Amino acid sequence: MTTEKKLALLEDMLEMDAGELKADAMLADLDNWDSMAKLSLIVLLDEECGKTITSDGIKKLSSVQDILDYMG
Amino acid sequence: MIQAEFLDIAIAGIACCVPGREEALDKYHAVFGAESVEKFSQTTGVLKRRIAGEKQTASDLAFLAAEKLLREKKVDPQGIGALIFVTQTPDYRLPSTAYVLQARLGMPIDSICYDVNLGCSGYTFGLHLLASIMETSGIARGLLLFGDTANKFIAPEDKSACMLFGDAGGATLLEKRADAAPMRMTFRSDGSAYKAVVIPAGGYRNMGVGHENRPWEDGCTRTAYDLNMNGTNVFAHMISEAPKLLKEYLEAQQKSVEDYDHVVLHQANAFIIKQVAKRMKCPMEKVPISMDRYGNTSVASIPLTIADACTREGLHGQATYLMCGLGGGLSLGVVDTVIDSADVLPVMVSDVYFDDGIL
Repeated sequence: MTTEKKLALLEDMLEMDAGELKADAMLADLDNWDSMAKLSLIVLLDEECGKTITSDGIKKLSSVQDILDYMG
Repeated sequence: MIQAEFLDIAIAGIACCVPGREEALDKYHAVFGAESVEKFSQTTGVLKRRIAGEKQTASDLAFLAAEKLLREKKVDPQGIGALIFVTQTPDYRLPSTAYVLQARLGMPIDSICYDVNLGCSGYTFGLHLLASIMETSGIARGLLLFGDTANKFIAPEDKSACMLFGDAGGATLLEKRADAAPMRMTFRSDGSAYKAVVIPAGGYRNMGVGHENRPWEDGCTRTAYDLNMNGTNVFAHMISEAPKLLKEYLEAQQKSVEDYDHVVLHQANAFIIKQVAKRMKCPMEKVPISMDRYGNTSVASIPLTIADACTREGLHGQATYLMCGLGGGLSLGVVDTVIDSADVLPVMVSDVYFDDGIL
């Protein structure tokens, strides 16, 4: 999956406009990075990437780039 | 995959009872902020729930439901040969609360009675256990009683749980009948995740732990005697494992969601229910919801949702049900059977408790 495609999926998940999400953004700085977004990320990883993640795995994510890397 | 099958045992009656005190979530506006509470409601689907009185236990709710069910079905308690009570909030550390219920209901001493410590998946496991006992004995009628007053073990400001759970209990009568529709089940248990839903203290592993509040890893303040639920891990497990087992079951039975009138999923939270339904390609019209008004009622959620749907949707006659319970353990159970709406009583409301049980 291309980085653009991954970013688009994350923007959709975080209810952000296209092109609004930057790979170097820190998750803590995103207003929409809340518990609901974390649950949505679990679903997204499972459906789009066939990957599972635990709560510890989510805690280790600090930037958007971390998520992109995790998506593989 | 485990495949259990009972060909001569029917669900002959279902009754559920909730406490009178109804609580909306507005009181948490002051604690978490109105916007946060609103968002919680949107995600989980919970608008309000019922909360048991201080002296009211899960067994009180189950007892009232059982008593009414036996009366309505004109069944003599002396003819009940087994009673299983599934709860995580028993009356005492010991004995099994099933014995209190046996005595209160006037069941014979020629009977098998005990408790099972399971929550959200417990209704499916309870049906399997009771049906198995009946299958291997001459017992023609058994009672599956169930209930939880989860609000008694949740820290008052535990954001992951304090607005989610509702208290409820109930009863299901199983009957041996030559003309019973088949009852088929499958189960999965994953003890590697036992820490995902846990009350650390109160047993004998962490003895002598103090009752003081402290912040836990997820930022919530709790004592070791309160429920500690890793919502994220439970969620991840549920949305992948529940549809997987349901699909495997349907495939093994050469059935599809179209074969069922109702698909009743444990009322964990609305987001999980929608995800599981979506993955099964099951239209939400077939998936009744009760947690908007009752919250996540733990072991009672499947039968309560059935009872609520029968009344609210005015259901008549026999219908095919596919039920899926999932919860702590982690545990997962699927039950496939037929229930006649005429055997399902409207949800009862009561604040009555068993005075004699206060020692």
